[in-house]
Amino acid sequence: MRLIIDLIVRHRNACSLLLTVVLSIVMIAVRPEVQVKIARALSMSLFYPAYIAVSQVPAFTGLYSENKRLRQELTEISTQLQLFREQTAENVRLRGLVGFAENTLYTLVPARVVARDPSPQYRSIIVSGGLAQGVEMYMPVVGERGAAGKVVQVLEGMAMVQLLRDPSSRTSVMVSRSRAVGILQTENGRDFFVRLRSHEDAQARDTIVTSGLGGIYPKGLTVGFVKKIDDSNPLFKRAYIDFSVNFEKLEEVFVMRLPPLWAAQRAELDLVKIEK
Amino acid sequence: MMNIILKWTGWIVLCLILQSTLVPYMAVMSFKPDLPLIALFYLSLSLGVMPGVYVGFFLGLGQDLFSQSFLGQTALAKCVTGFVGGLFNERVVRLDPITRGALLIAMFILNDTIVMLVHVVKSDGSAGTFFTELLMVTLPRALYSLVFAAIPLVWVNVVKPHRLVD
Repeated sequence: MRLIIDLIVRHRNACSLLLTVVLSIVMIAVRPEVQVKIARALSMSLFYPAYIAVSQVPAFTGLYSENKRLRQELTEISTQLQLFREQTAENVRLRGLVGFAENTLYTLVPARVVARDPSPQYRSIIVSGGLAQGVEMYMPVVGERGAAGKVVQVLEGMAMVQLLRDPSSRTSVMVSRSRAVGILQTENGRDFFVRLRSHEDAQARDTIVTSGLGGIYPKGLTVGFVKKIDDSNPLFKRAYIDFSVNFEKLEEVFVMRLPPLWAAQRAELDLVKIEK
Repeated sequence: MMNIILKWTGWIVLCLILQSTLVPYMAVMSFKPDLPLIALFYLSLSLGVMPGVYVGFFLGLGQDLFSQSFLGQTALAKCVTGFVGGLFNERVVRLDPITRGALLIAMFILNDTIVMLVHVVKSDGSAGTFFTELLMVTLPRALYSLVFAAIPLVWVNVVKPHRLVD
């Protein structure tokens, strides 16, 4: 034992390097889920003061330019809102004429992001709206530029939102231009793609929207834009996307008070037993 | 001892704050100086191998936590870089300003090489663009950072020549 301690003391520089290199390699080598756990533990313990400081920095930088941008967007959105109101009224009239049932009426509950999953690619956020505001499980959540995620846990005054970029979230999406439908997927938690059959049409800069097939997100919410196509596989192609919502700067969101399409049948669905 | 710890902690915290606030506005052709690496460079030159290794490790780990890199990637790069910087400790070897500049560039290249290697290994990517990245990204960034690294050198050699960087 004494020999080992002497050896360590004598070669303390090399031992220090060895220790930190081994620790780093272990952190690099472990599975992404374990990495998330380690990152979460470190953020909430050793690096908590830094975490608090870093999370405050964005609040102070770029306030002027953000204010200017928001004013411009407000003007644009107000104009668009006026147009949309006109179109909605026209839509209701036309639906009435052709006998379509109105099924897209919903209200938006504004909510502030109060906490984030501190992992490098954080997958969930806590928002300030909860049961008291009429928020329920599986309600879709949108940011200013499109779909952000869905509610997966609700308390009285707050709710947990699973973001679209959570690798375990499977969202049915489609290419807005060609209507080709696929599932939003990722393999490494960073690069997200829509897997499509090889003959289906998708090009760079195409808009990806929700397909409405999952029963949670209504059809047509913007999810992102195609940045590149990988068609190296003869059977399937991958349309890699950039999300339209900037998850890093998500501060305010809206919960769409729109229960899942299958909400009415939920009790029956819960009783269905899947036979292996 | 306490003074030294407090002083270096202050410098590193200042560098981290500047890196996340002011530095993005100082980008030239998207090249940004790496102030934490410059701080690590001076720390390891001044205090030696062990502080260089451990400060590098925790500095890198902090950067990993608050950035998009793999956990452990920057920690590995920075602890090795701190180790190499510590080998040129001022108490062991005296370096003239030009050699210090060359050493800083070498530390940038070492840091980025390790970061890129980990990235290639983890994402099953190819190492095809490795040298291009070093030439087109690392070297300009290192040269730009050299301008900022020169500030303490000028301070020590011209403004307050009687003091060493301690």
